[in-house]
Amino acid sequence: MAIESRPLPPGRGRLWPGLRRMSPRLDPYLFLAPALLLVAIFVIYPIGTVIYYSFTDFDLITEPQWVGLENYTRLLDDPTFWKALTNSLIYLIATPTLIVLSIGLAIVVNRRLPGIGLFRALYYVPAVSGSIAIGISWRWLFDRNGFVNSILVSLGILDRPVQWLSEPDFVLPIAILLTVWAGVGYYAVIFLAGLQNVPEELYDAAEIDGANSLQKHWHVSIPALRPQITFVAIISSLAALKVFDEIYVLTNRTGGILDSGVTIVFYLWKQAFTLSNAGYASAIAMALLVITLAFSVGYVRVLERRFET
Amino acid sequence: MRMFTAARPRTPVRTIRRVLSVVFWYAVLLLMAVVTVFPLLWIVLTSLKGPEDPIFSVPPQFLPTDPSLNSYGRVLDTLPVGSFFANSILVSVSVTILSTLICALAAFPLAKMRFRGRDPIFYLLLATLIVPVQLTYIPSFVLAVQVFHYYDTILALILPSVASAFNIFLLRQAFKSVPDELLDAARIDGASELRIWWSVLLPVVRPSLAAVGIFTFVVSWNDFLWPSLMLHTRENMTLPVGLAALQGLFSSDFRSIAAGVAMTVIPILIFFIAVQRQFVRGLAGAVKG
Repeated sequence: MAIESRPLPPGRGRLWPGLRRMSPRLDPYLFLAPALLLVAIFVIYPIGTVIYYSFTDFDLITEPQWVGLENYTRLLDDPTFWKALTNSLIYLIATPTLIVLSIGLAIVVNRRLPGIGLFRALYYVPAVSGSIAIGISWRWLFDRNGFVNSILVSLGILDRPVQWLSEPDFVLPIAILLTVWAGVGYYAVIFLAGLQNVPEELYDAAEIDGANSLQKHWHVSIPALRPQITFVAIISSLAALKVFDEIYVLTNRTGGILDSGVTIVFYLWKQAFTLSNAGYASAIAMALLVITLAFSVGYVRVLERRFET
Repeated sequence: MRMFTAARPRTPVRTIRRVLSVVFWYAVLLLMAVVTVFPLLWIVLTSLKGPEDPIFSVPPQFLPTDPSLNSYGRVLDTLPVGSFFANSILVSVSVTILSTLICALAAFPLAKMRFRGRDPIFYLLLATLIVPVQLTYIPSFVLAVQVFHYYDTILALILPSVASAFNIFLLRQAFKSVPDELLDAARIDGASELRIWWSVLLPVVRPSLAAVGIFTFVVSWNDFLWPSLMLHTRENMTLPVGLAALQGLFSSDFRSIAAGVAMTVIPILIFFIAVQRQFVRGLAGAVKG
């Protein structure tokens, strides 16, 4: 037994210099096969196909007809597409807001108080309740007969109830507010885990140097949270770029008056699945892909620069 | 007084300050809790309001004076809420089990074996994390209707959700932390790789499996856009899709919409409270630098 525990037959090791252990060569592929097959069918094949569809006229049922670049030229002249693109980019305001608020929340809950666990769980409630349920509850808050009007009229701030979600200027801000509200508790858990890894001595040292509590967090907590900030920045901005559920529920599947709440994914959905313009919707999907890739490349650049310095 | 005590005296002033600071932090925590929970709480309160209670009033009326469960009855009479639940549970449990197993299978060689094509496969999976899933919906819709013929069935929600690059990464991280010696010992005993995966690796990374499982469950439970494209018949709908249908059906009856929301949110909250610790641990572990 003891002799066998030296696992590398020498010949094998020379043939495959990287091979540390004996493992039958087929094994890794067999383990990967189910996942890769599913990824091929449900991710890679669809991406290839959607590229093809974007050059066709397609109604989801009959054969796609090749139309060349027509969908793309139409995209450039479509004011709703530009509105959707602008709205999706505006939606990115959610990312820095979420980072600031959830770090703040993490700092607040990162103290030993009886019952703190209960509070931490409560802040997490919106994240697990589901976007449709919380979307409806927000729609109800901002309804003409909703709580927001009720309280603002009682306080004398408004003379009469406002149809918040029928006002073009309010739809997108309310949706962004909803995203931020629902996300703060979720991202705070990530920051909290980061904070709990910060050695206590760093704070003590800062205190000895005469830092007040705000300075302590600025000079100790924030630098320590860098990996989490990067992670949350990537995750939350990719999520912001593909917002759909909130808009769908808040505007009762209309996208809002004058398309005031239409985002890229909402417009994609509307064109493909309510207007049967799947070819055109595929071109919108390509725009979404390009934006997402640009963002990801941007983040990778930032990350690389950070590792260099 | 001060002169006689040690360097950091426990003077009354200091004690009062301490108490005030504790009170202050509880006030902050409570205020934030109210902001967080209020929209759902307001929904629950609205759902319990009887016909005599105004749903809009100045100033707002918080507690129902005439509480009733009528709205719940109306929702249950109109919509098969029981089927929504059964479908949601069926989909989420299937996706959770299949996804955890298949992603754990894929994560094993990526973490612990050396083979040709490992890095390309790894980067390919990494890339699929970035691509928005909505991009795939048009071709996936065509596949569902023309190839797999599972439009309007639960299977249409399960199959596309099983392979998750995110889960593969999380489990790959977990497997990497398992010492190679453990695997080698099992190999010497003549265990097959599959056996090693099942009897050595999986038990060791059980906390990560739990985190991945809970995560997958919640995401699947709350998934909306794809299920809304696939499910047509009411009896086949999951809860979020059913809720959206409810919003359309009862557009002017907010008590009933509220009852529908309350019915669907309360169970997931109970589930979350039950598994809260694993969930938070898993979420935190997902981003260790």
